Amino acid sequence: MAEEKKLEVKDLRISFTTANGKVQAVRDISFDLYKGETLAIVGESGSGKSVTSRAIMGILAGNAIKEGGKILYGDKDLMKTSEDEFHRIRGDKIAMVFQDPLSSLNPIMRVGQQLTEAMLLKNKTSRRESKVAMNRLFKALDENMTAAGVADAKTDLEKFKKFGIRHSKLESEYTAALDYAKQAQAEAESVIIHIENKAVDKLSQDITDFCQAAKKSVSHFVVRDRAAELEALLGDIKSKTAEAKKSKDYSAVLEDFKKAKSILDEAVSFDAPNTFTLGYYLTFDEDKIPDMPVAELNELTHDKTENEFMNPFMRRAEKGVRYSSEKTDAARREAISILKAELPVFEKAEPDRKECEAAAKKMKAAVIKCLDPLEVIKDSETHTFESSIDYAVDLYFGGFKKNAKEEKRFTKATEKHEKASRGGKTPDWEVIPASYINLEAAHQDMVDTVKDMIAHFEAQIEANKNADFAQRTLDIVDNLKEQEQNSVYRITKSVAREKAIKLMESVGIDEPRRRFRQYPFEFSGGMRQRIVIAIALTANPDILICDEPTTALDVTIQAQILELINNLKRERDLSVIFITHDLGVVANMADRIAVMYAGKIVEYGTAADIFYDPAHPYTWALLSSVPDLDTKEKLQSIPGTPPNMIYPPKGDAFADRNVNALVIDFEMQPPMFKISDTHYAATWLLHPDAPKIERPKIITERIERMQKKRGETK
Amino acid sequence: MSEDNREVLLKVEHLSMYFGKGNFVKKAVNDVSFDIKKGEVFGLVGESGCGKTTTGRTIIRLYDATSGSVYFKGQRIVAGIGSYVSELKALRAERKTADPARQAKIDERVTELRAEIAKAKHDHKHAKKDLVTKIQMIYQDPISSLDPRMTVKEIIAEGLKIQGVRDKKLIEQKVFEMLETVGLVAEHATRYPHEFSGGQRQRIGIARAIIMNPEMIIADEPISALDVSIRAQVINLLNDLCKKMGLTILFIAHDLSVVKYFSDRIGVMYYGNMVELADSDELFRHPLHPYTRSLLSAIPLPDPETEKNRTRIRYNPLTDHEYTTEEPEFREVLPGHFVRCTEKEFEQYKKQVAES
Repeated sequence: MAEEKKLEVKDLRISFTTANGKVQAVRDISFDLYKGETLAIVGESGSGKSVTSRAIMGILAGNAIKEGGKILYGDKDLMKTSEDEFHRIRGDKIAMVFQDPLSSLNPIMRVGQQLTEAMLLKNKTSRRESKVAMNRLFKALDENMTAAGVADAKTDLEKFKKFGIRHSKLESEYTAALDYAKQAQAEAESVIIHIENKAVDKLSQDITDFCQAAKKSVSHFVVRDRAAELEALLGDIKSKTAEAKKSKDYSAVLEDFKKAKSILDEAVSFDAPNTFTLGYYLTFDEDKIPDMPVAELNELTHDKTENEFMNPFMRRAEKGVRYSSEKTDAARREAISILKAELPVFEKAEPDRKECEAAAKKMKAAVIKCLDPLEVIKDSETHTFESSIDYAVDLYFGGFKKNAKEEKRFTKATEKHEKASRGGKTPDWEVIPASYINLEAAHQDMVDTVKDMIAHFEAQIEANKNADFAQRTLDIVDNLKEQEQNSVYRITKSVAREKAIKLMESVGIDEPRRRFRQYPFEFSGGMRQRIVIAIALTANPDILICDEPTTALDVTIQAQILELINNLKRERDLSVIFITHDLGVVANMADRIAVMYAGKIVEYGTAADIFYDPAHPYTWALLSSVPDLDTKEKLQSIPGTPPNMIYPPKGDAFADRNVNALVIDFEMQPPMFKISDTHYAATWLLHPDAPKIERPKIITERIERMQKKRGETK
Repeated sequence: MSEDNREVLLKVEHLSMYFGKGNFVKKAVNDVSFDIKKGEVFGLVGESGCGKTTTGRTIIRLYDATSGSVYFKGQRIVAGIGSYVSELKALRAERKTADPARQAKIDERVTELRAEIAKAKHDHKHAKKDLVTKIQMIYQDPISSLDPRMTVKEIIAEGLKIQGVRDKKLIEQKVFEMLETVGLVAEHATRYPHEFSGGQRQRIGIARAIIMNPEMIIADEPISALDVSIRAQVINLLNDLCKKMGLTILFIAHDLSVVKYFSDRIGVMYYGNMVELADSDELFRHPLHPYTRSLLSAIPLPDPETEKNRTRIRYNPLTDHEYTTEEPEFREVLPGHFVRCTEKEFEQYKKQVAES
């Protein structure tokens, strides 16, 4: 998959200080999240899955120690982002659905207000931010094009900007009308069903809704020719409804609704206009939409725009992009030489703080120049180099400070350990050193940060050698279009209200209009959770983290909510991190699955890998403890409890509860063994010298059964 | 089937439980009938808010039933008078305009009804206390159902004390015995609930229920608040107890794969009505009611291939049924397989079963 990486977690280590000592919650986990995929993190409570998600959201508890690692998102490293900056990311770019819906709703605010609040606030800032980003991109393009020898770059860009805004306005008008038409169509259908079944109790509100939506759907491209007819029908419906409300007999309006629905059915299926080229046409040719079928209109405006403007513009812009890329590559080469020259300062056995800081300063200055102003996908490694190197240096030199409390704990733990070994036992836990970070690891981190940067630059220079600049220019233009659209897209209170009601409907809340004005305590648990999901989605986030969102819901609702998340994922290219302990849920949702145990990822693979070819004993245990519809035999529960992470086990953390544990499981931590390109597992069973241990019967039988079933359906 | 000869332990007849008054009546349970045989696990499923918990609570008399009755080992333990009262009212209204012959008949019926009401009230009041203690309940949330200020021993022994057992040694011995039965150790008796994990807390709840030596347990979603690995432990425990003590269990849950695994018969509820009732295998083989089909199609399975191609069946009571001409009734399509349907649907279901 050569897809865009949305989030990259690297060697994440998080601990918590507690009264009894330091608890290692997350130990060295790494994973990537690609655009538009669902990554499921599965594990028992206490396995560190929620801690990972909280680290991504920047809402770790106060006693958490970030021991190391990176979470790269866009141009930021979320492990080192300040609280102020996080405000821009949290909820907006990365949204989270918590396990307990009550705790994420404000009890004294109406649900509707909570739903629209974020939309209204966000719209303001996102308009402003899009404008800034757009102008910055325009400026960079202008500079680079001029530097590359393109004459009159400015006029070109001005032109582009002007009709781009026109296009955005057209586009939002068109989509709004289309949305209203679709809504009215759905309302009409439901009203017809209600009338036919004589369930007319709350029909008048539905009819009013329908009339409003239908009225707003009339536009040049949607209802068009039959607008007059529809309006006449609406008037008719209104007057008849007033009578029907008294007599409770709605059969008179039925015919009207059927007609109105046929108009809307037709309207929804019309060709979509190419608003981009139409924008050009309207700006520079004639300020009136010509009266011709949409297909012809599209062709006319398309040809005109391509020949007159886009093709030459693209060729010229490409020159600028190429120039900028070459310039950046030169800066990168220079930076590599500087980084290489300064690296020995860090590599010394006992580095000096002053020297290191001076070297880091030089490096930072060189690296910051290596940012391509025309990048579309943000180069997170380069952006975060500054914070990473600062953090690594601080961590290493800060580690020399003595901490009285930790010293005390260390002596106590050492005594305990020695006492145990004197007694003839070999304790199965390790003493965590007193210095609250591992100095060796911190030193290595420092060196690695620089080395990684060099490798990254080299890879980029290599990649640029045969880059497709035409494609890159196209990406930039697409990005500009999107920013333009965002900068004119205005959400008013009434629009937000309509959107919120639609969202409430799509998460399966009955009578959203009435519910809109209620308080959270008036909802049942399942309903509250839907509201929370709706709120998380209002901001249209990049990444959605779901922390056991359906654990408290029943199957039908669970299926609905999962379907909803899946649909949204597809529509908006959303990346989802789905945290759960229910493997059945995961099978439906996940593209890839990470199984976590005691703060480590023990198995990692695609959904098919995990379900059809599980390798780690813990995954076996998880799979065999859930019954499916054909299970008859006794379930296998996992004996014991997860290990106490104040005394992390020396070997495989699961060894204690594993019936088939090998001797080495108690002594050494297994590395990640590669099973296939997508499938990894950390268990000694995969070592070539390991004895062959069969999976539990319950799993092999289930897999066989599943394969047989699939064979039948095919 | 030979199992049909087993004694009927609990018989629920036309049970209704309405909340609210006047125009705002919420029919949480509406005319539900079923019976549970001795030693059987009866599963009750449905979405949240469909009245399964209310049914359980009405049986154990946490609510006073609106109408209908519940018989436990032949004795009436719950008796609602709502249906009699409404009939009485209707008759009185009718009497005003009726001719003398009809009036006499009405009078006769009114006396009958009055006697019925008196009997129901009497039964309801005097249902033997020890009979009711034979039914115990396990609650959904192991955290909120245990008093945080009582030790485990006090929690488990509370029922015995209320029953008048004063012998401290006997109580202690019984508590330890129960702890052992549910897989805890005697040391745990002096601890407080917060010191236990979720699965252990649920075990305490089970111990509290079984110390009364009940014949029947109403388990209200005992596993939905637990982690997967612990779920299996609790299900296995309940299963063992069921076999060892010959318990009868009314198992209320929404996780269908667990209900299927655990129950002998399953009743499906929808908006206060029982819509389908059958043997668990039969129900999964021939789901007849559209709501049951929709419910079954929503079960998540640990199989990504089938999951990705799954199409959920949607249930819309307005379009799936034709109830405008005829009120649906609970009918027996196959022996032991009941569906709530109209006459027309009944014929159709019969045909459907015969074909498959």
